Amino acid sequence: MSSNRELTMSSYVGIGVGLMLIVCVEVIFTYQHMAPHTLLFALLCLACLEAYVGVMYLMHVKYERPILFWTIFPATLFVLGFLCYLFPDAFRMLNMRLMK
Amino acid sequence: MAETQVHAAHHAPSQGFIRKYVFSVDHKIIGIQYLTLSMVSAFIGMALSWAMRIHLAYPDFRIPILGWLSPNGAPNGLMTPEYYLSLMTMHGTIMAFFVLTAAPFAGFGNFVLPIQVGAADMAFPRLNMSSFWVTFVGFLLAAATFFIPDGPPLSGWTAYAPLSAVGSVAGPGQGLGQTLWVLSIAMFCVASLMGALNFIVTTLDMRTKGLTLSRLPLSTWAWFIDAWVSLLAFAVLLPCGLLLALDRLGGTSFFIPGGLVFNDQLQPHSGGSPLLFQHLFWFFGHPEVYIIILPAFGIVSHIFPTFIRKPLVGGWKVITFAEIAVGTLSFVVWGHHMFVSGMSPFMAMVFSVPTLFITIPSVIAVLVWVFSLYGANIRFDTPMLYSLGFVSLFITGGIGGFFLAQPSTDSYLHATSFVVGHFHFTMGLSAIFATFAGFYYWYPKIFGRTMNEKLGKLHFWLSFVGVYCVFITLHLTGFAGSVRRYSAFVDDFMIPLMPAQRFMTISALLLGAAQFIFLFNAIWSRFKGPKSSDNPWGATTLEWATTSPPPFDNFGGRQLTVYHGPMEYDDEASVMQTSPEASIAGT
Amino acid sequence: MSQIELMVAGGHEVIMEASPYGIEKKKLGMWIFIVSDACTFGAFLFAYGYMRIGTVAWGTPFGFSSILNGMIMTAVLLSSSLTMLAAVRAAQADDGAAVKKWLGATMLLGAIFAALHLREWFNLISEGWRLFANPTGGPAQFGATFFSVTGLHLTHVITGVIALGFVARGYKQGRYDQSHVETAGLYWHFVDLVWMFVFPLMYLMNAH
Repeated sequence: MSSNRELTMSSYVGIGVGLMLIVCVEVIFTYQHMAPHTLLFALLCLACLEAYVGVMYLMHVKYERPILFWTIFPATLFVLGFLCYLFPDAFRMLNMRLMK
Repeated sequence: MAETQVHAAHHAPSQGFIRKYVFSVDHKIIGIQYLTLSMVSAFIGMALSWAMRIHLAYPDFRIPILGWLSPNGAPNGLMTPEYYLSLMTMHGTIMAFFVLTAAPFAGFGNFVLPIQVGAADMAFPRLNMSSFWVTFVGFLLAAATFFIPDGPPLSGWTAYAPLSAVGSVAGPGQGLGQTLWVLSIAMFCVASLMGALNFIVTTLDMRTKGLTLSRLPLSTWAWFIDAWVSLLAFAVLLPCGLLLALDRLGGTSFFIPGGLVFNDQLQPHSGGSPLLFQHLFWFFGHPEVYIIILPAFGIVSHIFPTFIRKPLVGGWKVITFAEIAVGTLSFVVWGHHMFVSGMSPFMAMVFSVPTLFITIPSVIAVLVWVFSLYGANIRFDTPMLYSLGFVSLFITGGIGGFFLAQPSTDSYLHATSFVVGHFHFTMGLSAIFATFAGFYYWYPKIFGRTMNEKLGKLHFWLSFVGVYCVFITLHLTGFAGSVRRYSAFVDDFMIPLMPAQRFMTISALLLGAAQFIFLFNAIWSRFKGPKSSDNPWGATTLEWATTSPPPFDNFGGRQLTVYHGPMEYDDEASVMQTSPEASIAGT
Repeated sequence: MSQIELMVAGGHEVIMEASPYGIEKKKLGMWIFIVSDACTFGAFLFAYGYMRIGTVAWGTPFGFSSILNGMIMTAVLLSSSLTMLAAVRAAQADDGAAVKKWLGATMLLGAIFAALHLREWFNLISEGWRLFANPTGGPAQFGATFFSVTGLHLTHVITGVIALGFVARGYKQGRYDQSHVETAGLYWHFVDLVWMFVFPLMYLMNAH
């Protein structure tokens, strides 16, 4: 059942260091004077990568049955994906509000 | 009957009244507690609707008890417009949350689901107990608003910001009353999340040998799907409530725009967006109406085969996939509540199309029920009458949905009583009828006695006719332009509609009075009804394979094995799920 | 044996349908909770995004020292995930002393994270940031969103530290077994992963 025997403790440490490196890359990006939306896109991609690695290896979904993956990811992404429907109104807010 | 005997000292029932009946971890007691709470709430909600209806049709009529309850809100028993809105808010809150969400899902689900899957209890019994008691505290907080000086909030069950966010300056009840309301709903969220989690794990992990997913009773399927919808929807209402609480108590401006003047006072807020509140609320709010109706689908689909003595058309698959489709689509249509809110007009189209699409699985479900009746030898017992009533109400209400799904027609109808009639049919009374169906159906299992059939049928016909009299008329007055949320129609174009208002009020009073037949029947049969056999309806699922009422561990130490699907009927013949006999209906 | 004892003894499949997931029900329950809690955090972050997009002249209060503080906090939380993994492995190897040691380390790192976070909070508060106030005179939305989103995360961390304390005590007394440690571990990793979104969105996007 719980088969995180597949990974040794040293590979976990490697994953931890890798995640920390991604965070460092994020910080470096932050100071590259990118346009806000470019920076946001880059940061979100890296954060999703971290979350994926974390869920698959630290929480060892990779070593559980595939059905667990197919339960949690679609359900969460479904909700978070459709919450994006909020944003058209956020952009309208910039133009339509009477007082700043 | 073949079953593996598990000789065991089961986890023994707790002794002592408190542990056994009050803070009980037994899912059956918790189910009854939920049902009782819902019934109390339903009568409170009904009394509120009576008060509102009387005021609408007879604006000068004094209701002394209201004067006693709130000397400010209803001086000498004559309610102010603000107090009308308070009653409306609490009617909606109590009915939507504590009756419609609690009874068919948490109430029957708790009592029946573990038995239907052959388990001794829920997956997490103590979590289950906490769900109920958190709900109960939420109920007390909501009920407490009646007894504070300013009375209940007046912002509707949807608590639209900024009215709900700025505090007591917005009107009576918007101070402490609204704060209690927000806390109550946050508690309800937490309780629902715990309950949904429990239902999901119980359905997946606690099924007895042989009960594969394809053999699950249809009610279990519906509760399972419903639990998923609850889990994801209440997870978004919780932050919505917390942010509203922060706006009220922490001085933030999530939902309050700048330059807002209430009662001649400029509000010290800026930069927030009322639309954000509506988005977050309706992201929960639309799935919520399916959280209410999906268990009703399940209960009715479960009751139908027993009384038509044949499987549903399409077997378990069509109805279940229709429910899954409805549950999924329910998350992408919430904007149709916001067509007139100032939302991006482009998004109105984006929400309108899936709203029309969601009628497809709904219609498939309805067709399954209607086609299943064809050629059947129908037994018109009270549970079946209520199930048929449910189908009728759902169709009638659903037709109104086509008008409201389109921004062009909705713009006219949105603020009229057409919408009120529509949602009372589709989610309110459909779910109530399914709850009644479930109540008459499972009553022998819950209490070991049968309810009086004649009183049951009388209750059904009075309710059925009464519902149509009230809510079809609401549709019609809505078409005629009668505005919702108004406390009186005394001085404008709505005066010609007053006879219709009086007709609705009288119908509503009679409809409400008919519910006392049910109350009497439920209480009287508990003590004086004829003793029921273990399986009075000749049904096939596991809850009928144990005694009525079931013992503490549901099967008296037996561990059942399941050999069939839930719909093994062929006229008089039927095969229990636990029976190793050959299948007769091939499900 | 009762149904429950049979399940514990590995007889689950003898009398019941096998779980489609092949994991203990409390672990499945924790996963379901995580799905729901991820949506809760998600909705908070979406509300922040909505505010952020719709606000002119948002203001970016974080200097490099705050970002550095945030990086240290990230490192602390990531290390705590690793010590949590070590605790789970020790529990699987039935090594009680090591479980106690690693759970203790995880709690300590969690507490350090909370302390660093509170220091950040107090810095901002001393600069004049409030839920409803912006000391630079711009819109107050940053304070509202920052304190509420990180406050929710901090609540999760503190709850996690307390929960780990209960698990450690229960394990020591023999009431809990390795599955409890694993379940607590799932929660802890989840809180860690949420931070992987909170840090870039709340800190890096607000760095000047």
